[in-house]
Amino acid sequence: MIDFTQLDKVIHEKGRLSIMTLLATRSPWSFQELKAELGHSDGNLITHLRTLTKEGYVRETKTIAQDSARPCTNYELTGAGNSAFQAYVRVLESIVRQTKPQ
Amino acid sequence: MSDEQDSKVEALENLRVIRSLMERAHVYRSISAPAAIFGGSMALLVSAFGFYSNFIHISPSFREREFLFAWLILLLLTSALNAYLLAKDAKKRAQPFVNEGLRMALRAIVPPLLTGGILGVGLIWFERQLQLAALIWILCYGLALQATVGFAPKSLIRLARAFLITGQALTIWWFLSGGFGEFQRAEAPASLFLGLTFGLFHLIYGICILATSSTTKAARD
Repeated sequence: MIDFTQLDKVIHEKGRLSIMTLLATRSPWSFQELKAELGHSDGNLITHLRTLTKEGYVRETKTIAQDSARPCTNYELTGAGNSAFQAYVRVLESIVRQTKPQ
Repeated sequence: MSDEQDSKVEALENLRVIRSLMERAHVYRSISAPAAIFGGSMALLVSAFGFYSNFIHISPSFREREFLFAWLILLLLTSALNAYLLAKDAKKRAQPFVNEGLRMALRAIVPPLLTGGILGVGLIWFERQLQLAALIWILCYGLALQATVGFAPKSLIRLARAFLITGQALTIWWFLSGGFGEFQRAEAPASLFLGLTFGLFHLIYGICILATSSTTKAARD
C-alpha cells in the first residue's frame, strides 16, 4: 500500500520541483540562470525560492559577478534539501513500481 | 480512473520532468576545441605523409606497423591534451576534473571506442587489413560520439553524424569497389579515410567552436 503522506508537499509543486532538480545537477545556479532555464517570471521564481529557502532546502548566497561586477544571487541545495529531493524521487519511483499492472 | 492510477500518472509525469531537466542541465563538451584543432591538424599531417609514402613516392618507411604506431601515438597525444584542457576548464568552474559530466561521457564513449580500438588494432596487426580497420575506427568513433547525444552540445552531435554518415558511405564504396584494389598499397586509402574524418572533421569542429565562442563572448561584452 502506498503512503502518499510521504510525498514532500513543498517539492511536489511543479515549479519548485524544477528548481530542486536543477540545483541537484550542479551548484550553484545564479538567479538569471534559473530564470533562463525554467522560463519563470521573476516574481514566480522568487516566491518558489523563498519557500524552498524557508524550508531549509535551498541556500542563498550573494556574490559579485567577475565579468560585469554586478551583484549576483546564487542558489544551491543544502544537505537537507539534497536528502529531501532524493527521498522525493524514491517515493515517486515506489508509486510507479507499486501501481504496475500485474 | 482510480486514485491509484492518477497518482501513478502524476508520479510518472514528475519523474519525466526531473529527467528532462537533468539531461538539459548536464550539457558536457567532451572534446575541447583546441584539442580538436591540434588533433585534426596532426591527423592531416600523418595522413598526408601516409598517402605520400605509399602512393606518390613509394617508400618502405610507412607500412602497417608504422601506420598503426603513428595513429596510436597521435591518439595518446591528443587524448592527453584534451584531458589537460578539460581539467583546466573544470578548475576554472571550481569543479573537480572527474565530475558527473566526465563520468557520463566516459560511460557513453568507452564501450564503442574500446570495441573499435581492439578490432582495428587486431585487423592491422594480424590481418594487415588497414582499410577495414580505418573504417571501423571511423564508425566506432562516430558511435561513441553519438552515445553522448543525451547531454552533448549540438556541435558534437553534428560531428558524430558526420563520422557516421561518412563512415557508412566509405564502407559501402569500399565493398562496391572491391577494396580499392587500384591502390598498390592499402596504407594510401586508409590514410585518406583517416585524414578526411579524424583530420578534416576535427579541424572544422574546433574552428567552428572557437569562432562561435568568441562571437558569443563579444556579444556578452
